[in-house]
Amino acid sequence: MNDPIMTDMRSEYSKSLIQLGKDNPNVVVLGADTTDSLKTSGFGKEFPNRFFNVGIAEANLVTVSAGLAVSGKTSFASTYAIFLPGRAVDQIRNNIAYPSPSGKKGLNVKLVVSHGGLSVGPDGGSHQQIEDIAIMRVIPNFRVFIPADTIAVSKLTRLMANEYGPFYMRMARSKTPLVHSESQEFNIGKGITVRDGTDCTIAACGITVRMALEAAESLQQDGISCRVLDMYSIKPIDNEILEKAARETGCIVTTEEHNIFGGLGSAVAESVSESYPVPIKRIGAQDMFGESARDNEIPLLLEKHGITSINIAKQVKELRSKKL
Amino acid sequence: MGLNYYQIKKNILKARKLVIKGTNTAGSGHPGGSFSMAEILGCLFYKHLKFDPNNPQWEDRDRLVLSKGHAAPGLFSNMAVAGYFPESELETLRKFGSKLQGHPDLKCPGVEFCGGSLGTGLSYSIGIALAGKLDSKNYHVYTIIGDGESDEGQVWEAAMTASKYKVDNLTVFLDRNFIQQDSYTERVMPLDEKLEGDNLSEMWKDASRWKTGDKWRSFGWNVIEVDGHRVEQVDAAIKKANATKGIPTIIISRTIKGKSVEHMEDNPQWHGKAPDSDVVPIINQELDSQFMIAPSIIAGDMTNLENEVKRCVHGRADYIHLDVMDGQFVPNKTFDHTKIKELRSLTVIPFDTHLMINEPVKHIRDYIDAGSDVVTVHAEVTDESSFGEIHDLLKQNQVGVGFAINPDTDFPEWANKFIPSLDQIIVMSVVPGKSGQKYIEATHEKMARLKSLLSEHNFSGYIEADGGVNLENIGSVFADGARAFVGGGAIIGQQDVRVAIKDFRIEVLKSRRKQLLEKANQLGGSELVNKWINLHVIGEKQEQIRKIAQEAGFV
Repeated sequence: MNDPIMTDMRSEYSKSLIQLGKDNPNVVVLGADTTDSLKTSGFGKEFPNRFFNVGIAEANLVTVSAGLAVSGKTSFASTYAIFLPGRAVDQIRNNIAYPSPSGKKGLNVKLVVSHGGLSVGPDGGSHQQIEDIAIMRVIPNFRVFIPADTIAVSKLTRLMANEYGPFYMRMARSKTPLVHSESQEFNIGKGITVRDGTDCTIAACGITVRMALEAAESLQQDGISCRVLDMYSIKPIDNEILEKAARETGCIVTTEEHNIFGGLGSAVAESVSESYPVPIKRIGAQDMFGESARDNEIPLLLEKHGITSINIAKQVKELRSKKL
Repeated sequence: MGLNYYQIKKNILKARKLVIKGTNTAGSGHPGGSFSMAEILGCLFYKHLKFDPNNPQWEDRDRLVLSKGHAAPGLFSNMAVAGYFPESELETLRKFGSKLQGHPDLKCPGVEFCGGSLGTGLSYSIGIALAGKLDSKNYHVYTIIGDGESDEGQVWEAAMTASKYKVDNLTVFLDRNFIQQDSYTERVMPLDEKLEGDNLSEMWKDASRWKTGDKWRSFGWNVIEVDGHRVEQVDAAIKKANATKGIPTIIISRTIKGKSVEHMEDNPQWHGKAPDSDVVPIINQELDSQFMIAPSIIAGDMTNLENEVKRCVHGRADYIHLDVMDGQFVPNKTFDHTKIKELRSLTVIPFDTHLMINEPVKHIRDYIDAGSDVVTVHAEVTDESSFGEIHDLLKQNQVGVGFAINPDTDFPEWANKFIPSLDQIIVMSVVPGKSGQKYIEATHEKMARLKSLLSEHNFSGYIEADGGVNLENIGSVFADGARAFVGGGAIIGQQDVRVAIKDFRIEVLKSRRKQLLEKANQLGGSELVNKWINLHVIGEKQEQIRKIAQEAGFV
């Protein structure tokens, strides 16, 4: 594969917000002292009246966003992953997801975080959120996205703004490789077949989509045809694409920067076990916390948890032998 | 809406009864915290809050956020009284399929916030208030937080945020009842100073111990401190808060958990417990037996009425009774509306203006403008037409309507049609004209006759006893059905007005306790009497009530 083009999710998010701000006067953006880091401060410069920095007070961030939303605003609240689901789950549940105005489900708040998963790097285990998907997936009325690249960030941000209700979207800290084309469509509850194949499926999300593609490429050389799915919509999940993959390829490896419990792997297993059970291998944090790693050492940290294209390829080979 | 204080109090009473009904039917719920904020909600719902029960989502409505969500029965009962849904709906409280959930929920149209998890309502309110400003809306956000709830750190995150963004379209009430689930707030997590012993009244007495206001002031808030059970104080505070721009306001309302039901008052057990069915009728009677003390300042120094008003304030009078005499209807002359206007600025305590003048219809406007909260006119100088005019004018101006009869006057038949909307009836127990006369004993009989007439015509106001009421007879006057008591020489004539008023209250309380024991005895004999007595666990109440029961032969 060619060397990837690396782009920055937070810059893309910032650009998308400013565009949304121009298109829709009801869009408001909130932050908690990480607004330069998240680059939401750009929106604040354009629309100072619609931008609120509540300080290092994430509970407050969530609930103020909810109050604005119940009054007709479309709230985007952003900080690091570790400080939103990881810290303010009560407010997320009781102030955003639970309150349902007549005929609606939850309030119109979009929680968009960066610094998801292990690739946060140097800040260490305290900042590497590997539990957020499990937390957010279990809360009724929430929909959960993990974009693989900046094209996904841009399109999903717009999609969330146009669709009523609570959303959670997790971005990565570091620059991410482009995997999609500008014309790629994104829909709630859909996955994308980024590479077709017949012998095995790799269901990936976030930065692991590129790894999955690399693994598929190397497996091709061994004569193994791998299908790669970008499961950016973790909830609702695309049951159809998964059932089809199970029927047509007979086994599924999942990859994610998240604990193997409760994340994409669990979601895929739940889905497939109800539609067309096939052997599944979950790659992700092996129920242990992350640790510090300088930017150039992040691959080592990921490797420790088996989140590499080499391990994905290895797991595909092993799993194929377990096919029913 | 805008009701007068009497009507507000009537609605508060209705709401309190619905709380009892709802929690009793549900078998659980939180009456204590519903009662501590009852007057706050009353002032909001029936005077200040802009809302339309037929259009709960009206976009210009004021927003009421009950952050201390466990007091949901208090919110729901007021919503029922305000017309959002039938009062009978309270019977579905906490039941499967009901829109009246255990905690406030958007499932019930008109509820603005899903409460329950404490500490979040203020942040939510800030969001609503900020949206209002963005949309150039004039709505106001009122938020009620609890003192136990103030343990939550998010309250203080929100406090900073409101201050930073100058959220002045938001007014917060702190329901400072000193009790949370486990125990007294000052034991669990002090907001003021540490409580020594169990006597909450110690906390009340000594303002130097109140630190909560300082906390909020240091967070950049405008702080107003009131007695949260005094409708007039809450009302005045709301007006002040709404007039304060550029800074958020908190009204720290010193309240009593379980207020109005003696055995629930200041009792942590009633944070989250429902009353049993057998005591509900007794509780309802107790709620119907709230009373007020109204010193009459003409019994004092007529050359310095300002000072007499100040003594009433110091004495914590419920009302100040102002006897206006014109030298024609009665031989004496006291003062007129110009004096009342002068006195008005001294206090927010309601002015109970009693017009003993000829042709009151000609002067009624002046007494409204002077700042009266209730104006009572005499049967002897009104007829159906002139009283009708007076009645309408008073109601339109949110002033209570009073009607008085002299000792030798019977309640005139033409006035029957006004009975349902009268706020007060004064049964004179002396010949009006001067203070210092003896109570006319025949009044007791007259009261008994009157009571049946009034109940026949759905009277829901207060009967005020005026003339010769003293410590010796006040208990029996209460037993006759009077609920407001004018005290002339027996209060204003005393050295220490505060002690005199307190003694009045103690005597009424004794009489009330006896009546409630009678009710218990009548409903369930000595078993229920004992149960009732044993509910009173705070302070020396139980001992005192048992003594009354023993003297009456109920136990």
